[in-house]
This record gives sequence, structure tokens and C-alpha cells, in this order.
Amino acid sequence: MLFRKLLRTAGKYRAQFISMIVMTALGIGVFVGFNTEWYTIERDTASLFERTGFADQRVIDASGFSHDDLEKVRNIPGVDGATLYISFNTVASDGDTVALTVTSDPDVSGFIVTSGEAYDEKNADGIWLSDRYAKENGVEEGDTLTLGYKGLNFTGRVAGLIKSGEYMICVPDPTQLMPDYSTYGYAYVSPAALRQLTGGEFYTQINVKTKLQTKEFREKIDRVFGKTMLTVSKDDTVSYAEAMGESEEGKTMGSILPVLFLAISVLTMVTTMHRLTASEKTQIGTLKALGFKDGTITAHYTSYAALIGVTGTAAGVGIGMWLGWFIMNPNGSMGTYIDMDDWSLHTPPFVWIVLLLINVFLIFIGFLSVRKMLAGTAADALRPYTPKKMRSLLIEKLPLWDKLGFGAKWNLRDNLRHKTRSAMTLFGTVGCTLLLVASFGMKDTMDAFLDTFYNNAMNYSYRINVDTEKATEEDVRSLAEKYDADTCAQASVQIDGQTSLVEIYGISHDTLRFVGDEGGYVTLSDRGAYVSRRVAEKFGVSPGGTLSFSKYGESEEYTVRIEGVLCSMSESVVMTEDYAESVGLKCPAGLLMTKADSVGPDPLIINTQSKQSIIDSFDTFLEVMYTMLVLLVGAAAVLGIVVLYNLGVMSYTERYREMAALKVLGFRDRQIGGLLISQNMWMTLIGVIIGVPAGVGVLAYLLKALASEYELDLHLGALSYVGSVALTFAVSLIVGLMISRKNKKIDMVEALKAQE
Amino acid sequence: MENIVEFKNVSRVYKVGDHEQKALDGVDLSLRGGQMTVILGPSGAGKSTLLNLLGGLDSPTSGTITVDGQDISKLSGDGLARYRAEKVGFVFQAYNLIPTLTVRENVALVSEIARDHLDPDRMLADVGLADHGRKFPSELSGGEQQRVSIARALAKNPQILLCDEPTGALDSETGVMVLKVLLRMTGQYGKTTVIVTHNQNIARIADTVVRVKNGRIQSCVTQTPESVDEVDW
Ligand SMILES: Nc1ncnc2c1ncn2[C@@H]1O[C@H](COP(=O)(O)OP(=O)(O)OP(=O)(O)O)[C@@H](O)[C@H]1O
Ligand SMILES: [Mg+2]
Repeated sequence: MLFRKLLRTAGKYRAQFISMIVMTALGIGVFVGFNTEWYTIERDTASLFERTGFADQRVIDASGFSHDDLEKVRNIPGVDGATLYISFNTVASDGDTVALTVTSDPDVSGFIVTSGEAYDEKNADGIWLSDRYAKENGVEEGDTLTLGYKGLNFTGRVAGLIKSGEYMICVPDPTQLMPDYSTYGYAYVSPAALRQLTGGEFYTQINVKTKLQTKEFREKIDRVFGKTMLTVSKDDTVSYAEAMGESEEGKTMGSILPVLFLAISVLTMVTTMHRLTASEKTQIGTLKALGFKDGTITAHYTSYAALIGVTGTAAGVGIGMWLGWFIMNPNGSMGTYIDMDDWSLHTPPFVWIVLLLINVFLIFIGFLSVRKMLAGTAADALRPYTPKKMRSLLIEKLPLWDKLGFGAKWNLRDNLRHKTRSAMTLFGTVGCTLLLVASFGMKDTMDAFLDTFYNNAMNYSYRINVDTEKATEEDVRSLAEKYDADTCAQASVQIDGQTSLVEIYGISHDTLRFVGDEGGYVTLSDRGAYVSRRVAEKFGVSPGGTLSFSKYGESEEYTVRIEGVLCSMSESVVMTEDYAESVGLKCPAGLLMTKADSVGPDPLIINTQSKQSIIDSFDTFLEVMYTMLVLLVGAAAVLGIVVLYNLGVMSYTERYREMAALKVLGFRDRQIGGLLISQNMWMTLIGVIIGVPAGVGVLAYLLKALASEYELDLHLGALSYVGSVALTFAVSLIVGLMISRKNKKIDMVEALKAQE
Repeated sequence: MENIVEFKNVSRVYKVGDHEQKALDGVDLSLRGGQMTVILGPSGAGKSTLLNLLGGLDSPTSGTITVDGQDISKLSGDGLARYRAEKVGFVFQAYNLIPTLTVRENVALVSEIARDHLDPDRMLADVGLADHGRKFPSELSGGEQQRVSIARALAKNPQILLCDEPTGALDSETGVMVLKVLLRMTGQYGKTTVIVTHNQNIARIADTVVRVKNGRIQSCVTQTPESVDEVDW
């Protein structure tokens, strides 16, 4: 019997029930979704890393390592596995770049075969090719592939298609945001094949699996080789660092947004349960008088909360799993970025505990609301619930008050009488504006970032990688002259025991611009070096101070004066050739940047990269971003509509009699609707005033969370402000119209028949 | 004097499931301007239905209702609202004041809709509540609330004042007091007044007494009214 009552009551409070379920479901959906996302990234990438023997440390020496060196490393206590390793860019017959990779021990920095033959180290002409690259370029198993390197050609047969942890995020260099398998891929060949191609075995890296801390490992390596070696830990590799960055983003998203939705859901719950039990107070009293035990009645009303909690949670887990799948599937947004074989979704265990707690909390709220109504004797409970008495407000003392129209007074008093409802309405509009501002701001910030770095800072048409082993300083200079190119020399350095990058520029043709810390472009001065924000932060340096570093493999220490801080794509120390010379730092330039329309083939040039190809690569990245933002804007609209509609219906029911009385007096439907809408509009105005700065705050927080990956400056265009505010008002207006349309249906006779 | 209200063959039928409930069944009725009419009848006779139709809260299923030369039975939502705003004042058994507006604001409210409205302070003074203007309805007694409701209805300066059991929720003593106020006011402002009641005494001060039964007019008697003070309440 009581169960039937439960369903009927749920039907009567339809709008509230649905909105609580929707809010709970959205909150839980976002919570489960983003937490599933980051946890899936961590679990599935860890699994791929594990199965392909992703190296923890890389010891690098351009002059090469021998098998003896490998043995020495293997003998270091704490080293679990090591391999001789080399990866160099080759050119495929269609001009694509393929990173050709050899690992002497396939258990370290190896790969998994997704189809075709298993790896065979004796196979001298087998190529194990990235399956994504193969698919993108129509290459199949058994096809013959010719890869060129410095005038040498290696022709082999595609023996198998593979995936590798080392190339999980397959970008040619960190300035490229997204993989582009149509122009860049990777392949593994056996040491035997390497011998065939280059006439010998030559490895520039020893990749190591170890649980040693980076610092400890470095000390041991330096001791073994008797000099400072360049080592790169997995934290500095694109595959690992970027995947963890994505996971961090997921964690941030999974913590801010759900809190917003769940808070709204819980607040809606509080107001609705209170209203429900208040309006059923006499029913509660009747049940009590009939002899139902307090416990039974409590259980009955508590089960409303349980109904909402369980339905919302079930729907939310569904939404969350979908969201997780939507982001984390091989064809989804993450699939274009990360190349893994296993995309099974994983949800962190704490999520289930939190869901349980949320439900317990919701039920507890339900329990508390009935408790209050049940207190006392059956007679007490039978007396109808009396709402708070009207009291004169402080503002009524102001002379301004008398100037207000009756509508304004009616609405203002209504707001103050129903504080929770008003607070909830505010919360809803604030949330809506906040999400919109943050989403639009994210887009503006990204657009400004891309515009600054790709459209304007990158002023070259081609980037030329020169073969520094073959080319003399003179060759590079004449190449630069031929193409009116600017030069760049890059060197890995060690600062305070940590790896960083030094870039020495010779800029005279304005092919590259540098972005200052305060925005705007700066011309590099010869008086000192510049550090990117992340370097400045990491090493605690600021302009006027100094920074010391040493090149890998060398003991000499260079000290530079910090001239300024740059906002940069890479984490680096930047200086001009002249300043580098003045501190005695010399590196051969290996990178040319030119505005030329085309770059002809040249034995000294390893490869060229056009600006367009770099720009194309971030189109996919943008697509991913924009999908996310569209989802967020959608969520904002849903949030606004659901919350405002629910409260609107609540306000409508509460003022039904009053509106009927106004109608009897001769107020037209549109006038009454106008009153309801204007209340909504005023609330929205306040909500917007709070929501805009709150949105900017959330955006700033998000950017800070991303600071380790991108040096982003918050940008918010006027259009975004206007758009967010306008959209919030539009949502509020639509809901207002939806509610005020009901006015026509007010049955005056019916409404006024009932006694107060 | 002219007939200001004219009911011609008016019916109001409610559909309850398959069954048709005739709340009013072919009512013909004329009321003269400036007079007081009392409607009597047993419960469920159709008194409230009649009053609601006259007040523009409801429209007849068939027949025409003419008020001051205007056929209100064909009016739409907004037209009816204008009619209610300009022509009629309503007093209900439940006072139907706006709880979130003060007493004075409840009366002053009519200035938003009625062009010809009267000064709210004067109306409050007339019903003897000049000092209560800043209070909220919940801070008044039932009788006081009903007086506010009368002040509000008359403040619109309507042609017709309609009262549906105005004293029904009050004890008899308070009821008499409120009735006296009501009668004095309608006399003072010369309104066409229709009162639905169970109180036989009120019938004695009416110009016309209409008896309703089973949705039909049973009798319609015009008489010489006694004055309010002559009646022994
Ligand atoms: N909304 C409705 N739906 C169906 N029937 C209705 C409705 N309103 C009134 N009725 C019926 O119409 C008839 C007349 O009702 P009305 O309210 O006019 O009676 P009344 O004379 O005012 O009675 P009372 O003295 O008890 O107030 C009644 O039989 C009632 O049941
Ligand atoms: Mg009645």
C-alpha cells in the first residue's frame, strides 16, 4: 500500500523527482566518467608499458655504446634489464618519416605484435611496422618497404604490425601536439637488419628497466662510465609524460565538475524533501494516528530519497561509463592521441565507495526531513505545517522600498521567505554561467595560445634538420645563406642534476619570434639568456639572477645571466649566438628555419618539416578540445534548465493560490507570467554577477593544473563574456516562459475553493 | 433602473467521467443596477457556479450573460481578465489575500490593474483598519482579513460586488460585524451587490432574493428591504 503511495507521490512531484535524478545522474556521470578516464589511462598505458618493456631510463651518447658497455650497465645492482637501442629517422619512398628502431634485447623498449609474425632477431629483412602507420598508409603484411637514410637504402618485408610503448604517443618532436600517422610512423628491425643497412651495429642509447630513483641511477651510471652521462628518465619522455598529463587533467576534471553537479543535486534534495514532507505533514500525522509505527513511516519517506539515489546512481554510472568510453576508445578523442591495444575501461575503487557514501548521505537527508515532521504526538503531527511567518524586512525601512512596484515586492518577499529555493536558483545560474565562462575561456585561451605560437611566432615555412655529423660549420652557414635561414643549435644540459634543453639562436630573418612572459613578442638581447616559465619555476630563477648548467658528457660548467622569462612551447634555456659565445658555449647549429617556398634535396639535409604539417597536426588536437567544450556547454545548459525548471515548478506550486487570487482580481496571464519571469531574470542577473568571476577563477585553476604541460595565458574575449551571460539569460528566459505558460491553466474556481 | 445583469438560458455542465453534472440548467435572471441581491439555496444547488460565471471566473457551457451591455460569455482569457479588473470585485469565504504583501499593499495592488481605482488608505480607513496597513495578513484575525478583502474588492471601484459566503469562515459575532461593514460600504458606494449566503437574516435587507435549487432558479422575489440596523442579528 505504502509503496503505491510512494509511486503516486513521485508522480505528483514529477519535476522535482526528475530534476533530482537528472542532477544526481549528471554529477555521478561526470564523476565516474572522468575518474574512469584517468584511471583507464594509467592502467592501460601501464599495461602496454609493461608488456612492451618500456624503459625507465635512457642513457644517451651520440658516439655510441658497445656490448661491453651494456654488460657494465646490466651489472649495476638495481638494474632489471637493459638493451642497446637506436632510433633514427628514415625516409619512406612516399616522403614520410619513419623512425627506424633497433633494440638488442626485445624485452626492453620492445613491442607487441598485433598481427603477423613474431619478432625474430635473426630475420635480416623483416620490418615490424607500426600498425597505425600501416593502416593510415595502406601498407599490409608482406609488402615491401624501402627506407632511406643518408643516401643508404634498406629494403625489407613487413613481417608484422606492432604497437610499442616507446611510441605510444608518436610525435616527431614535442612541438607537435598530435600524432600524424599519415606522415610520421615508426618501425622496428632486428640488429641483423641494422648491420645490413649500416654495415655494423651502432647504438646511441642504452635503455634500462630499473626501479632506482633517477638521481641514484645517474650517480651509478656516471660512476660506471667515469663521466657525466646524458640520461633521460621516463618522466621526460613524450609517451609517459603526456599520458600522465592527460591523466592529471582527468583527475582535475573529475574533481571540480562533479562537486558542482552533486552539490546542486544534494541541495535540490534538501529543498524538495523538506517541501514534500512539509506538504504531507498531515498525511504523516494520519499515518501515525492510524497506528503506523514511527519506524515504518520514517522508512517510507526515507525510501523516496533512496529511490532518487539509486535511480540517479544507476543512470549516473551509465552516463559515466559512456563518457569514459567516449573519451577512451580507440576511435575516440584519446584514440587519435594515444596508440594502445587494450582500451578496457577501469574505474578506481574509491569511486564506488564515494557513490555508496553519496547514497547514504541522500538517504540521511530524507531521514532528517521526516524526523522533523514526526516529532511529537500524533496530534502535533496532524496539525498542518505552518510556514514561516512574514516579517518586515530591513530593506522595507528604506525610502526606496515604497517606490518599488507591487511585483518587485511580491518577488523579493517570496525570495526571502523561501531562502533555500532562492539560494538554489542562484546556485543553478551561477553554475551555468561558471561552466559557460570556463568553457568559452578555455577555447579563447587555446586559440590565443595557438595563434601566438603557431600562426605568429612560427614565421618560417620550413624547418630543416641538418646532418650535423656530415656538415661542417661552413656547410651549415652556406645552407643558411642559400635559404635565407635562421639557425638554431640545441643541446641537452644538466641543471641541478635535472635534464633540460639549451637552444642557441641566430635570428636575422625574423623566422621565429619569442613570446615574453607578459605576452607580446620580445627580441632576444645579447646581454643574457632567457628561460621558459617552467624552467624559471623549476629552478627558482628570475631576471637578473644566474643559472649554471653543464653539457652532457662534459664537466665544464657554464653560468648565464638571466635576461628575461619567456612563455614557450618547450621547457628550455634560450640565448643568442653572441651571448652563447660570450659565455664560451659552442654548439653546432643543426636546425634551420626558412621562409623559402620549397627546400630542394641535399645530402646534408636529413629532413624538412613544413609549417603546414605542424599546424595540421594540431587540428586533431583542437577537435578533441572542442568536443570536450561542446559537451561542457551542453552540461551547463542542462544544469541551468533542470535546476531552474525544478525550482520554477516549485515556486509555481507554492504560489498557485496567490496567482489564482491575482487572476481573480483581474491580472492577465501575461502580467502574472511577467512577474515570474522578472523574478527569474533578477535572480539570473545576480547569478551572472557571481558566476562570471567564479568562472574565471575555475578557468585560472584549470590552467594552473595544466601549467606543467603548457604555458597558457588566460584569455577571455568580450564575445565569450557576452555569450556566457546571454546564454545563461536565454536558459533562464526559456525556463521562465515554460513555467509561465502554465498560468493559463490556473483554475481560479478550483484554487480558491480550498480553505487556507 | 436599468437591468445591469442579464442571464439568458445559461447552463454550466461539468463532465465527470461519462456522467454529465448540470451545475446550472437553463438559468434566466436579471439584476437591476445599484441593488442588493441575495442568493439562497441548499449546498450543491449551483450558487457558487452562478456567482463565478457572473464574476468572469468561469464561462457558461451555453447561454449568454450580459453585463452592462457587454456579452461576457464569449470573452477570451485576456478579455475576461480585463472584465474582472474593471467591472467586478470579489469577496470569498477564504479571504485570498496575498500573504507576502502587507495589508496596505494588498489593497494598493488594484492600482496595477484598475484604471478607476480608489485611494487604498481611504478604503482601509472605511473598513476600520487604518492602523493595520503595515501588518501582514497572517498577523490579522479572520474578521480583519475579510475586511481587508472587502476593502480590496471595493478599491477597484467595480460596478458589481460579488460575495460568496463572506462570513462562512467566521464565528457568528464576527460574521455580523463583517456583514455590517460590507453592507455599509456597498450602500455608501452604491454598488450592485450579489451575496451568496446561508444566513436567512441577510435576505431581509436585500432588494431581491433569489432561491436556487438543482441548478435552476426556484424563485426570484423583489421586496422592500429593511435597513441594516432594523434587523435583529
Ligand atoms: N469542478 C467541478 N466538477 C464537477 N462538478 C462540479 C464542479 N464544481 C461544482 N460541481 C458540481 O456543481 C454543483 C453546484 O456546485 P456549486 O459549487 O455551485 O454549489 P453551491 O450551491 O455553491 O454549494 P455550497 O453551498 O455547498 O457552496 C454541485 O453539485 C457540484 O458537485
Ligand atoms: Mg458555494
